[in-house]
Amino acid sequence: MIAGIDLGTTNSLIGVYESGFPTLLADSNGKRLLPSVVFYGNEILVGHEARRMQALHPEETISSVKRLIGRRFGEPEMEGIAGTPGAPVTLALGGQNRTPEEISSEILKRLKAIAETRLGTEIARAVITVPAYFNDAQRAATKRAGELAGFTVERIVSEPTAAALAYGLDKLQDRSKIAVYDLGGGTFDLSILQLDNGVFQVLSTHGDTRLGGDDLDRAIGKLISRKAVLDSFSSSDGIRLHEAARTAKETLSSEEQTTILLPFLKDGESIEMTLTRSEIEEVCAPILRRTRTHCLHALGDAGLRPGDLDQIILVGGSTRMPLVRKMVAEIFGKEPNLSQHPDEAVALGAVLQGAILEGSLHHVALLDVTPLSLGLETFGGLMNVIIPRNTTIPAKAGEMFTNAVAGQSGMKITVLQGERELADDNWTLGSFEIPFPPSPKGAARVGVQFSIDADGILQVLARDTATGSEKIVEIKSAVEVSDEAVEAMLSDSLEHAFEDMDARIFTEARLKAEEMLPAVEAALSQLEGELGSGEVILIREQAAQVNAALTSKETARLKNALANLDNATQSLATRLIEKAMH
Amino acid sequence: MDPFSILGLPRRPLLSEEEIGSAYRKLAGTLHPDQAEGDTERFRELGEAAAILRDPARRLRELAGTASSSNLPSQAAALFPQIAAVLQQADTLIEKNSVASNALSKALLSAPLKSLSFDLRASLLAVGTWRNSLEKELIRLNAAWPGIDQDAMHLVADSFAYVTRWERELKERELALACTE
Repeated sequence: MIAGIDLGTTNSLIGVYESGFPTLLADSNGKRLLPSVVFYGNEILVGHEARRMQALHPEETISSVKRLIGRRFGEPEMEGIAGTPGAPVTLALGGQNRTPEEISSEILKRLKAIAETRLGTEIARAVITVPAYFNDAQRAATKRAGELAGFTVERIVSEPTAAALAYGLDKLQDRSKIAVYDLGGGTFDLSILQLDNGVFQVLSTHGDTRLGGDDLDRAIGKLISRKAVLDSFSSSDGIRLHEAARTAKETLSSEEQTTILLPFLKDGESIEMTLTRSEIEEVCAPILRRTRTHCLHALGDAGLRPGDLDQIILVGGSTRMPLVRKMVAEIFGKEPNLSQHPDEAVALGAVLQGAILEGSLHHVALLDVTPLSLGLETFGGLMNVIIPRNTTIPAKAGEMFTNAVAGQSGMKITVLQGERELADDNWTLGSFEIPFPPSPKGAARVGVQFSIDADGILQVLARDTATGSEKIVEIKSAVEVSDEAVEAMLSDSLEHAFEDMDARIFTEARLKAEEMLPAVEAALSQLEGELGSGEVILIREQAAQVNAALTSKETARLKNALANLDNATQSLATRLIEKAMH
Repeated sequence: MDPFSILGLPRRPLLSEEEIGSAYRKLAGTLHPDQAEGDTERFRELGEAAAILRDPARRLRELAGTASSSNLPSQAAALFPQIAAVLQQADTLIEKNSVASNALSKALLSAPLKSLSFDLRASLLAVGTWRNSLEKELIRLNAAWPGIDQDAMHLVADSFAYVTRWERELKERELALACTE
């Protein structure tokens, strides 16, 4: 029996295919949703028990670990978490450094135990879902987490694809095009599929692995603390605030207003306030607007217009928010389809994929794609795409390279994933050396072949065609660096971090000023004759302040002057935009 | 490898996206490695064959065989200066907009971005007109098939290659522009 698992940022679920139906399994308290929270105390607690410990022991409790899986320090997504750039992320919990895959495996172990208790049999095989936009390292790390929990991971499947399967199961005769808008706890994906007689073909997918319900909760939390005039709070209070924000978001999906009640914060203070739906919508809208870009990209890649889609399926807990539904309707010009259970569709799809693999569900096939282009770094530091994004997997492609210099005795191959032109702007999956005997220019030939398996995980094969020597290159996930090495790198970078902090902030402000000052001049000359002399004098004065602060090299003064100039020029910006529209 | 026979489709210049897609999905549904009769190698080959047939340029070259010489279609030569200029302009402005970190710098770009959007539309229309005439040409070739001159087929294939590439590049910029809103 193959279990289907949705390993979510906030909640996880497990299910199996039983007598022709997918069923999700509940724990002994009758709960199917297991909070993705782990507590490392005298014992390891997972789920609801761990969540209860979180406010009391914030340092020993970890939630949303999915945001860190397969990540390295120093990636733009890792802001706020200190560590040596390039090293795999680890977290100190319960007196030990732990990897995100170890922590995730605790959640998976618990799910495994729930299923085994319910079914009275061992469950050793699993299908685990990941966000469609997860890269190679994140997929490999998730697979590893499953193995650490004692599963044979039969398949890593993309979440929106799984949800599409759950949606389409009772419509196998249909031919239609659908989009799945999947706003999870920490990630967003938009996938477009063609359904055709039991074949579910993904046409395109686009997303953001750092955009989800967590971000909405954080924005609401900030709103609450701003309204309560709390400028700092302990980490326990922060967790209570986050919880209150989440509850408010959920309540305000059906109510117009709610009361926030947080007694006994630090110093015995309490918060009691009313929050309305329109207040939280105001702070959530900028975050949700970011999903539009991904929808447009996916449509463009599929070569479709919004009107070509038959259904827009919503999944993920936060799609219960009325604002999400409104925005989706605006983007696609069509009311979204709410037939799927927002929390359970992905897990049900994982169960169905398991049933396909074990041969109990016939005439259904999922054709998924690789979300990001895979390629090699070329001589000039550019990305040379070998397998373009949205290629159906499993897939294979290769290229032949020759030596550029006579007498060269090897070639360095760097494997990249991403959509940017410059190699450095993409994610480096790994690099390796192919040695060959020194030969005249153009005589050595190395064939490099990429193959992506059905899990979306890459394997690279390099072959020196002259000698026939072959090398299979395992693309190492970001896991295998020793604890000591990581620790050494960590302390190193922390020391530097403090030294450099002030200099860095000044440099950022200086760059901003250097961009702002010429923009002010340009705006003033374009709007010449349309501005009152008083306004012009005021703006010039603020610009002079910025110049003075630049010379004085005082960080705080420069930041202040910039903020004032920004304020003083606000009406200029509005007028320029109005002028452009007429 | 003959992509037409892999997909079980007739060897001819004209095939619709619909025909290719249906044939592909029908076979992919049984060849996918998850299926009882699945075969990873054949599944990959099927994907590659479908990609060739979906692209009119590659499909025509497949039918015509090796080219005697490569062509620069006169339409391509005529359109090139306009397309190249608008693409370059787009990249410059989109880059400027993405690094603009304050409201004023962004506002300064709103007028040039608006005219860029207009230029992109105009170029896409021009390329679209060319595509329409090529599609008519394709119908004529299909009717005359197989009694067609190889060079004529290559000329149409090369023309399609330009159209496909330019449409892709222009649409990419248009999308990037839409995302700046």
